[in-house]
Amino acid sequence: MSVKVRFFARFRELLGTNIIVEPASGAMLADVIKEIAARKKEGHDAIFDDQGIFREFVIIMKNGRRIETEDAGKTPVADGDEIAVFPPVAGG
Amino acid sequence: MFSERELDRYKRQIMLFGEKGQERLKDAHIFIAGAGGLGSPVSIYLAVAGVGTITIVDMDTVDQSNLNRQILHYDRDIGRKKIESARDKLTALNPDIVINAIDAKIDESNVAGLVGDAGGIVDAMDNYPTRYLLNEVAIRNDIPFFHGAIRGFYGQATTIIPKKTPCLQCIIPCAPPKEVFPVVGVTAGLIGMIQTTEVVKYLTEEGELLTNRLFIWDGMQSASEEICVEKNPSCSACGTAKKGE
Repeated sequence: MSVKVRFFARFRELLGTNIIVEPASGAMLADVIKEIAARKKEGHDAIFDDQGIFREFVIIMKNGRRIETEDAGKTPVADGDEIAVFPPVAGG
Repeated sequence: MFSERELDRYKRQIMLFGEKGQERLKDAHIFIAGAGGLGSPVSIYLAVAGVGTITIVDMDTVDQSNLNRQILHYDRDIGRKKIESARDKLTALNPDIVINAIDAKIDESNVAGLVGDAGGIVDAMDNYPTRYLLNEVAIRNDIPFFHGAIRGFYGQATTIIPKKTPCLQCIIPCAPPKEVFPVVGVTAGLIGMIQTTEVVKYLTEEGELLTNRLFIWDGMQSASEEICVEKNPSCSACGTAKKGE
């Protein structure tokens, strides 16, 4: 199974983007993001809090549809899925 | 009716959307929340486009550190109220429109009164708590809300039409942490121009609006993305779980 993960803005700076991973069958969305984020502590900490829970402002999309961060742990990924992870910005 | 001067001033855009479109701009009243990074280009271009009434609200004084992006304000304005500086510049750019420049901090108690009878709100704020207040007024008054936000070389924008599209709180239910954000003036210009393009299209009834989509700009890559966004039925601002219902 092959899944593409795209990070945006600050998350891209820290973790890169268009990352192709091959998660095990039955893997959940949160597992896939966590595995990539684990490659760089700063990137991980930007997305997850001390408890390893998604920071509340993080936005996740799967194939163009929003997945609530609290549901990412129970949302399975499938071959060909495209996942986008991004931080909204606040300045004006 | 337009004066000869106005017809001449708007000649090149009347070619695009006719006198009828220009009249729609002239009859419009747009509320701009903030006279900073986004509020500067938005107000300048709405003024020169001939939006008849512009209300612009800000509470701050011009600071030297604003001048890399807040192009409404000049070096000589340091220490002046942003609103006074905004009034001077916008009136000088287009004396045929009305500028209501209001020195105020937008809060829960005054937001509805400040927006008044405006037919659209441009989000040029730098924080989500105020954005959410404006979003709620837009929903209540059934008027569009043109969202934009920036950080560094990154920006985002979307157009919210109450009842038809997700509201700001559906799209971004939780604000990112408050910070002194890094920013370069061009990002404010670029996102401000997307917002302003949306206002002009909305008022002249031309083109397709940036609705149900969040536009994301990555200036470091010179790449843009669009994310489809959907209404959240349990949204606390526009959904069935709305406050007080």
